[in-house]
Amino acid sequence: MKVSFPYMGTTVVYKKLLEMLGHEVIMPPKPTQKTINLGVKYSPEFACFPLKVIMGSYFEAIDKGAEVIITSGGHGPCRAGFYERVHRRILEAEGHFVDFIVFDSMFRDRKTFIENVKRLKGKTPLHKVIHALWMVYDMIGKLDKLEMEVQRIRAYEVNRGETTRIWEHIQKMFDKAYTRGALRNAYDKGRKMLAAIELHSVEEENRIRIGIVGEIYVVMEDSINMKMEQLLNSLGAEVERSQYLSQWVTYNMLPKWINWSHEKHILKLSDPYLPIQIGGHAKQSVGQIVDYSRRGFDGVVHLMPFGCLPELVSQSIIPKINEDFGIPVLTISLDEQAGIANNQTRVEAFIDLVKSKHKERLSQGEKNINKSTQHVTTTG
Amino acid sequence: MRELYLGVDVGSVSTNIVLVDEDINVISSQYIRTNGQPLETVKTGLKKLKKEFPVDGKIKGVGTTGSGRQLVGVMIGADVIKNEITAHATATIHFVPNVKTIFEIGGQDSKIIVVDNQMVTDFAMNTVCAAGTGSFLDHQSERLGIPIEEFGDKAMAADRDVRIAGRCTVFAESDMIAKQQFGFSKSEIIKGLCEALVRNYINNLGRGKKLEPPFVFQGGVAANKGIKAAFEKEINHEIIIPEHYNIMGALGSAILARDGNWNSQTETLFRGFEAADLEFVPSTFECEDCPNHCEVVEVRLDKKIVARWGDRCGKWTNSVNTVI
Ligand code: SF4
Ligand code: SF4
Repeated sequence: MKVSFPYMGTTVVYKKLLEMLGHEVIMPPKPTQKTINLGVKYSPEFACFPLKVIMGSYFEAIDKGAEVIITSGGHGPCRAGFYERVHRRILEAEGHFVDFIVFDSMFRDRKTFIENVKRLKGKTPLHKVIHALWMVYDMIGKLDKLEMEVQRIRAYEVNRGETTRIWEHIQKMFDKAYTRGALRNAYDKGRKMLAAIELHSVEEENRIRIGIVGEIYVVMEDSINMKMEQLLNSLGAEVERSQYLSQWVTYNMLPKWINWSHEKHILKLSDPYLPIQIGGHAKQSVGQIVDYSRRGFDGVVHLMPFGCLPELVSQSIIPKINEDFGIPVLTISLDEQAGIANNQTRVEAFIDLVKSKHKERLSQGEKNINKSTQHVTTTG
Repeated sequence: MRELYLGVDVGSVSTNIVLVDEDINVISSQYIRTNGQPLETVKTGLKKLKKEFPVDGKIKGVGTTGSGRQLVGVMIGADVIKNEITAHATATIHFVPNVKTIFEIGGQDSKIIVVDNQMVTDFAMNTVCAAGTGSFLDHQSERLGIPIEEFGDKAMAADRDVRIAGRCTVFAESDMIAKQQFGFSKSEIIKGLCEALVRNYINNLGRGKKLEPPFVFQGGVAANKGIKAAFEKEINHEIIIPEHYNIMGALGSAILARDGNWNSQTETLFRGFEAADLEFVPSTFECEDCPNHCEVVEVRLDKKIVARWGDRCGKWTNSVNTVI
């Protein structure tokens, strides 16, 4: 089958899995303004921003010959549950009849999950499937580890852009690795390459750490979030993202009894503020802000698609978290009209704020951390 | 010899250039309409400034802020290029050290900055919705046929209160016409408009924030007595308008330039007033070397590229050797 999938984050892993199952993978191009325009043109005006971008991605993938689209199903109560149906209808209206395979958490609907697996598996013998799964799982973990390193050291690189270039190179190395040995090699080599990057030395106590939380698509896909990680890094802050693929897989795919995951912990932390699931990633966003506060991060950037209801709810909870922990949070809403220049100004001002707070915290000692910082909102 | 600092605030509507001494006394200040041409505007400003420049003066540092901060920063050779929020807050904290809340309303944008202990702890900024900015008033002054400069006095002369829906400029306009037909005077309508703007502004930007006194109100709109009165009514507290309310962004960047210079005794990057005679040509292109498709801005001086930015990967930025 000629398969494709929505472009999100480190795409080499999906590609690898599908290839190992014997499919021809049509790589969707990384979203660009063209993708967004295409998506906006064919999507209902009030649809969420991620839906529009993914829509554009599908058109581009189909253009390149994709016949089957594999995607993960979000689940309600927000609109994520309808993505696949909306996408399918729009595509059909435009004369594209492609198949969709929608993966959901295997615990939610085991039957469909197994059917989907069977379809994807095709004629691949079982042992090969297991090998492929294991390979990819291993690969995700390794890539995530390297990426976390990238997000840390890029803040201090001497030659701007070097870390990103190397990171892209590393992903290409992983793309070419088909055996576990090759994978290990790629990993070791990648680590060495990252370690060789020339860095400014910054005292541990002067390091600024920022967490990124929010709706998964805008958090994971940097082409639509103003390259937030790179932007924060370039302003001298270390970055950690709320979502990494390995965590998602652990949470959604591993059987309950061995499923210890960060996400469970996060969900628990959000209970006092948001006791129920309201869809999207609102509960995670809230829990992650608490988690970052507890771990001593200097600030959080909260990304939400414009008009995303779950994240609007989490945004409204932020002042409360703030009262308890005093962590500065900057909410940025993203859509096709988001003014990059203005958001850039906000992020710069936010980092100024975080830095001076950090300095103050150093000079006052950890004891009386200033709790007056409020939630920074952006309007317009 | 007097050590002087230059601060430049390049907004989309207007550009301010100030010259201050070490204690931030204003020596000269220029206000020029930007008209979409930041480079030309700053050149004009520099030429004017040169005429007023003290003979014994020497520029020790230059700061730029505002939406054109980067472009103009390259052109004049700025030591500090800072965002508007930090620049504004820096100036306010300098002039009103115990300030807690800053209201800033300019022609095209508006912000609220919350300060605690001389440190920015929170902010919000509105750049899209016109209903909370000065252009809202400009618009209505045109409709009413009353020059904007007279708005303040007119508002103060109103006898009665009238509530005008100010959620959005379009609503405000139709509501205003309706209220006029009800027989409210122009003064009363203007007062109502001022109150609508303030309500809107606070609702939009102040949501979820602790707004505590001392309150400082700055930006071009602070000249309007009607708005000041509306603010005091809305928050039920006195409002301070700093002497230089109109040029706070530029002053802030001058202060940042001074403070940046304080520690390091480095030479300023200022190109000198001759910068006004140099031919800077900005242009943009879309890089297609990777799917990022960055819009890269480049500035040429004598056909030589002196600055580039806008690339995500740094390959263009880094390819420029810093010249002169
Ligand atoms: S989480 Fe937000 S953006 Fe995503 S589908 Fe739900 S409402 Fe839309
Ligand atoms: S400037 Fe760099 S990041 Fe931007 S499109 Fe070109 S190669 Fe890609």
